[in-house]
Amino acid sequence: MKIEFSSLEEGSASFALDDASIAFANALRRAMISEVMAFAIEDVKIYDNASALFDEILTHRLGLIPLVTDPDSFVPRSKCSCNGAGCTRCTVTLTMSVEGPCMVTSGDLISQDSVVRPALDNIPIVKLEKNQKVVIEAQAYMERGMEHAKWSPTTICGYKNYPIITHDDRCDGCGLCVEVCPKEILLVKGSAIGLKDGALESCSLCRLCEQACLNSGIGDEPAIHIKMDDRRFLFTVESAGALPTVRIIKQGLLFLKNQSDELYEALSEIRG
Amino acid sequence: MIPVRCFTCGKVISTAYEEYKRRRDENEDPKKILDDLGMDRYCCRCMLLTHKEIIDELNPYQ
Ligand code: SF4
Ligand code: SF4
Ligand SMILES: [Zn+2]
Ligand SMILES: [Zn+2]
Repeated sequence: MKIEFSSLEEGSASFALDDASIAFANALRRAMISEVMAFAIEDVKIYDNASALFDEILTHRLGLIPLVTDPDSFVPRSKCSCNGAGCTRCTVTLTMSVEGPCMVTSGDLISQDSVVRPALDNIPIVKLEKNQKVVIEAQAYMERGMEHAKWSPTTICGYKNYPIITHDDRCDGCGLCVEVCPKEILLVKGSAIGLKDGALESCSLCRLCEQACLNSGIGDEPAIHIKMDDRRFLFTVESAGALPTVRIIKQGLLFLKNQSDELYEALSEIRG
Repeated sequence: MIPVRCFTCGKVISTAYEEYKRRRDENEDPKKILDDLGMDRYCCRCMLLTHKEIIDELNPYQ
């Protein structure tokens, strides 16, 4: 198994996963979406809310703010020794007290922790008029995206099979397939079809080119062939802001490793 | 208020709304504004394109 990055930034990454089964690729995708933990606001005490939004809507908006997560210095609340009561090892308290007229933003949340804080400071929460006031105290902790999407560290996280584009010698370079390709990756090279440099990975496997070739009356089979490599996958991972993408990928892989170790142990116990 | 995140993909889009609104009111082409703001997917683009702000109409009734 091999991972080859074609781009790796804090907010988004794309990579090719080589020599893996489709089951593994999907397991990794699901692990990154729903098993990698991130901080999010869960409980809110509202001392004062004179804004036009109901308490519930205000709280919901607070919950969706991505919080920078530090998985090394905190434990998940579900595994914490406080048994879910909330303590400094698992929970971060954020407070906010704002008086109008102004726009309340995520930057107004003051966190008790230096690392766990809103990833973006300019998320609008509610607009206040004169004499309106919002005073709240919020508790944030780490959970899995499986419990609620606000805890998922990813936005876009998916894969496709690696495309394999070939043509046989019946191709006469008529260029009909070039016109229909929505990703504009094909071009005519001499009297045959070819690919633009480095464009292969953007093929969406839509097979419109095959269809166009068939429509040209070439026979029962198109001259261009779109196949998928079923051992190679192109991943796209985008972070919501809580964790850098590289961390999401690492944590996802680590989760899979721990799970398979657990399974292995359980099986060895049964075997005795 | 503009939703904090895109309903479909979860990207934080609310941070782009102020600038989008200002430039749209200056009659700039929405396509260009959305491209500049890094709204690549059509799910996020429609969040900004179709939003109607009503907080100012609600506020007098507090
Ligand atoms: S499958 Fe679709 S995207 Fe890929 S080369 Fe053919 S037309 Fe283009
Ligand atoms: S439509 Fe078929 S014959 Fe024409 S260029 Fe494309 S692959 Fe070749
Ligand atoms: Zn605890
Ligand atoms: Zn979106």
